[in-house]
Amino acid sequence: MNAIGKLRGALAVIGIIYILIPLIAVIPASFTKASYPSFPPEGFSFQWYTKILERPEFIDAFMNSLQFAVLAALFAVIFGTLGALAIAKYDIPGKSAITSFLTAPLSVPQLVLGIALLIYFTPLMLAGTSIGFLISHIIICIPYVIRLVLTGLSGFDYNLEKAGAILGANPWTVFWKITLPLIRPAIISGGLFAFLTSFDNVTVSLFMISPETRTLPIEIFSTMQDAYNPIVASVSSVVIFISVILIVILEKIHGVGKVFGGGHH
Amino acid sequence: MEAARAQNHQKRVAPKEQPPQQEKRAKKRKPWAPGLLLLTSILLFLFGFFVVPMLYILYLSFISTDNLSGEGASYSLSNYITLFTDSYYLNSLWVTVKISLLSSLVALVLGYPIALTMAKASAKIRALITLLIASPLLVSIVVRNFGWYLLLLPNGTVNTLLMDLGLISKPMNLLFSEVGVIIGLSNAYLPFMVLAIVTSLYNIDPSLEKASAILGASPLRNFLSITLPLSLPGIVSGCVLVFSLSMSAYVTPALMGGANVPVMPVVVYDQINNLLQWTFGSALSYVLLGTTLLSVFLFTRGFEKSKFKEVFR
Repeated sequence: MNAIGKLRGALAVIGIIYILIPLIAVIPASFTKASYPSFPPEGFSFQWYTKILERPEFIDAFMNSLQFAVLAALFAVIFGTLGALAIAKYDIPGKSAITSFLTAPLSVPQLVLGIALLIYFTPLMLAGTSIGFLISHIIICIPYVIRLVLTGLSGFDYNLEKAGAILGANPWTVFWKITLPLIRPAIISGGLFAFLTSFDNVTVSLFMISPETRTLPIEIFSTMQDAYNPIVASVSSVVIFISVILIVILEKIHGVGKVFGGGHH
Repeated sequence: MEAARAQNHQKRVAPKEQPPQQEKRAKKRKPWAPGLLLLTSILLFLFGFFVVPMLYILYLSFISTDNLSGEGASYSLSNYITLFTDSYYLNSLWVTVKISLLSSLVALVLGYPIALTMAKASAKIRALITLLIASPLLVSIVVRNFGWYLLLLPNGTVNTLLMDLGLISKPMNLLFSEVGVIIGLSNAYLPFMVLAIVTSLYNIDPSLEKASAILGASPLRNFLSITLPLSLPGIVSGCVLVFSLSMSAYVTPALMGGANVPVMPVVVYDQINNLLQWTFGSALSYVLLGTTLLSVFLFTRGFEKSKFKEVFR
């Protein structure tokens, strides 16, 4: 029994290392002294980080990524929270069908969604514009917000709202002073998730970009396709760093695994 | 409007024959019109920018010319006929299915022990493993692929290590090959496999294993006759998930396989973005979707009809 337990544990460790190893390799490689990134690295230096500053395309792309991700998350949170509130609070006919519809963009391959939007946006003059880019990202972010806010509302005690109303608060005050504070953690995790979903996206973005709307993952993607450039290691480490900070916050508020485990079907 | 709502209300209540008390409560339910108002913005948004575009390219896939202005455009199946008679596209479809199947298999073999360990571990260890395996999903796929570049290039970690150990004399082509794509895809989607299996392992009644152990079954027998069959629903849904995600993945095959591994998503991307063959590209998109759904249906159906059908209830 013990031998089997050990074997199981050892195989699990191998599996976990397999999941993490590409990310583990990137960070040390970015500190290499050599002109060529390798894992394990040769020596130690910050040269590939200072070199990022000499590449304005990466800085611009980073700023674009940040702006799009913030805006996409904001709109997804507004749409998603209103939608989730409506589903959770009111007895709307066809509730489960509506919920499936709102999370449907998750089930359509991003490649196909990107193609559909590019073709649809072109006659509308939205292809290659910031607005088109933003719309595409809001669509892929909405399902996560819906899912997280619905989870947050599942344990919600509507008597608190009633109590507020009985004590004379108008519906607006009830919403701001009672409903919103109680579901704030769910909204924040939904927003952070949406931010990361947009910030990381490559596939949909590939169909939405123009020279003005290139984002950081797109810049990394095209640099990798052209040549094996060591600067990708340091830029990637910056992306990992940002992701780790948000993951820590998300884990504190909600639990990262729950979002993906909570029924991808 | 009022009548329609009343009718709707009756439809919902009638078949269940609820006791009078509950009916009274149902009548006191809040009106749902304000809820619909809250939903309007998101429903309109998704209808306009998700449903209509998806239907639009379905329509385009049946147009036989690229002249989208309408002149000379005619309905036909020519895009689909070209696709299914040209060996290039059929081969691409086959390569895509093969790579997706192998990626699911690798993810299953590597993921099952992790799920099993999570199911047996304390809550603390379980939370830690969940965090470790789910976090990479929140880091951009290009970054994970770059990590594989470091490890798998001819002068990368793996080849250097194997050559230093004297196991190989010249570097292996791990990247820009089907092996590279399978490594990339199985790595990217392994967390989904683990989370799917773990869910079904949690649902197994622990007293079953205890009972069989008391009756003298060895741990191996226990695993093969109880744990494994009862976790089949998790295995199936994990495989379905990894398979469908792999079928439509573009970034990983493009970076880890390149031109050497022309999977469907890479072919579709080329048609749309480089050759601007929008109607043909639309048809390819829907064939990719259809193939994925059909494979998933056949696979799930096969298991539900097998001798294990009871566990899928």
